[in-house]
Amino acid sequence: MLLVCFVGYPLVRLTVDSFSSGGLDSYRIVLESSAARHALVTTVLVAIAVALAAVAIGGLLAWYARTARSGWARAAIWVGLLAPFFMGTVTRNYALVLLFADNGPLNDALRALGLGPAPLLYSSTGVALGILYTMIPPAAFALYGVLLTIDDTLIAAARGLGASRLRAALTITLPLALPGLVAAFALVFAVSLGFYITPVLIGGAQAPFVASLIQEWVFASYDLPLAYAASVLLLVVALAIVGLALLLVGRRRLLRTAA
Amino acid sequence: MAADETVTARRLRRTRTVDRVARTAGVAIATTALVAMLAPVLLTVLVSFSGDDFFAFPPESWGLRQYRELLESPLWGAALQLSFEVAAAVAALSVAIGVPAAYAIQRSRLPGRHALYAAGLTGMVIPIAAFAVALYGLLSQLGLRGTFVGLVLANATLAVPVVLIVITAALSRVPPTLELVAMTAGASRLRASLGITVRLLAPAIVASTGLAFVTSFEEAVLVNFVGGVEQTTLPRAILDSARFGTSPVITAIATLMMAGIGLVAIGSVRLLGRRR
Repeated sequence: MLLVCFVGYPLVRLTVDSFSSGGLDSYRIVLESSAARHALVTTVLVAIAVALAAVAIGGLLAWYARTARSGWARAAIWVGLLAPFFMGTVTRNYALVLLFADNGPLNDALRALGLGPAPLLYSSTGVALGILYTMIPPAAFALYGVLLTIDDTLIAAARGLGASRLRAALTITLPLALPGLVAAFALVFAVSLGFYITPVLIGGAQAPFVASLIQEWVFASYDLPLAYAASVLLLVVALAIVGLALLLVGRRRLLRTAA
Repeated sequence: MAADETVTARRLRRTRTVDRVARTAGVAIATTALVAMLAPVLLTVLVSFSGDDFFAFPPESWGLRQYRELLESPLWGAALQLSFEVAAAVAALSVAIGVPAAYAIQRSRLPGRHALYAAGLTGMVIPIAAFAVALYGLLSQLGLRGTFVGLVLANATLAVPVVLIVITAALSRVPPTLELVAMTAGASRLRASLGITVRLLAPAIVASTGLAFVTSFEEAVLVNFVGGVEQTTLPRAILDSARFGTSPVITAIATLMMAGIGLVAIGSVRLLGRRR
């Protein structure tokens, strides 16, 4: 019971406070302000793009971690997935700031190739890449668990009957993994909505994200009711998607993917 | 017959071509992704051995300058100490809550225990920025914002689910009949659960303590909202410093953190794997 109070109570309280402190007015202000609406739309779109990309790339890496025959390849994949995971949130984003910096190695390389500098720092694209970088490992871990449940002999059977490797993957693995992919998408989406450090460090003041607005409202202009309302809106979107996934794939599978 | 054979041969050849193309594309994408995953890690480690007092890549000189600066600065030392204290308290609290909760979920016939498990995990899957605002409001009203206790409670909301997952999984592998056998053999209920189940769970409890510690140690979002000026943990100090420009000292911290968290996490997982 204590557990439920721990996480549930603050959220319920947030919702209640968001109505009692500013009433519907704060929601109206948030939804009518074009800056806030822009931030909300950007945050949601980036979260969708990140969730799709993280599931695709994470799924591919999980697939190779499971099927690669060379031990070196498998080890390289695990190191690549775990090292960023171990770096810690702030330092990971800081590393990306250095990588994206105008005099950083990425822009040096792009300039050397004649592709010109890419202004990733302080842009929505940079923030999206930062969130994606953080979400690929968890997506890969979740999908590795999903792939472990798929019977190898089914694929071997399909290939024995003459299917190409690609066709076996698309017609056997993909449908069997689909519920896991849906669950992973929903969870990555919900978490991606709430990124705070990445928009603040990589996005700065310019990139339009709800997290940056919340930071401004809480720490600069002390507009708490607006921050409450924006937070509740984020929660509602996240819960809607996770709820939808719950309906589609069931509680068991969603929990298994989350754990 | 001959025509049939050519059709089969042609189909086989096409299958092989499709395979080769798909395989090359898959390996190319995976390799690119892997290089991208490792690039920031390598960059951080390399820059941490730079001898410059500004960020440049490749560094103009090499040395242990960043690590020396880190050791000599009182600011980073204080932040590190606070992070350790908070993480130790969070680990202890999370295990104290998480282990009994996992036991109740796994062993009792409590109605709604599955819902309880799901609720315990929500902390991991809600947008953290929204949750941070919620805790900001709640802890302000309770007068706990800007206190050590408030920060520990906040971080525990993220660490308890970790303990819950690890212990629930470990508990599902300990047969409940063992306890019953002990009780039939004359052990009291308490003695049976302490002597059998808790002892078998010991590696999982140690592992989950390590993971809860790490969860709190690297937590960087909630502390901004619930911590006061005195609650400048290491991640918060890094964030504050990074906001005002880049300093290569941070790459030394990042490298040490990666090594430290990696050791604790791998050690914890090893401990769990040993019993499987």
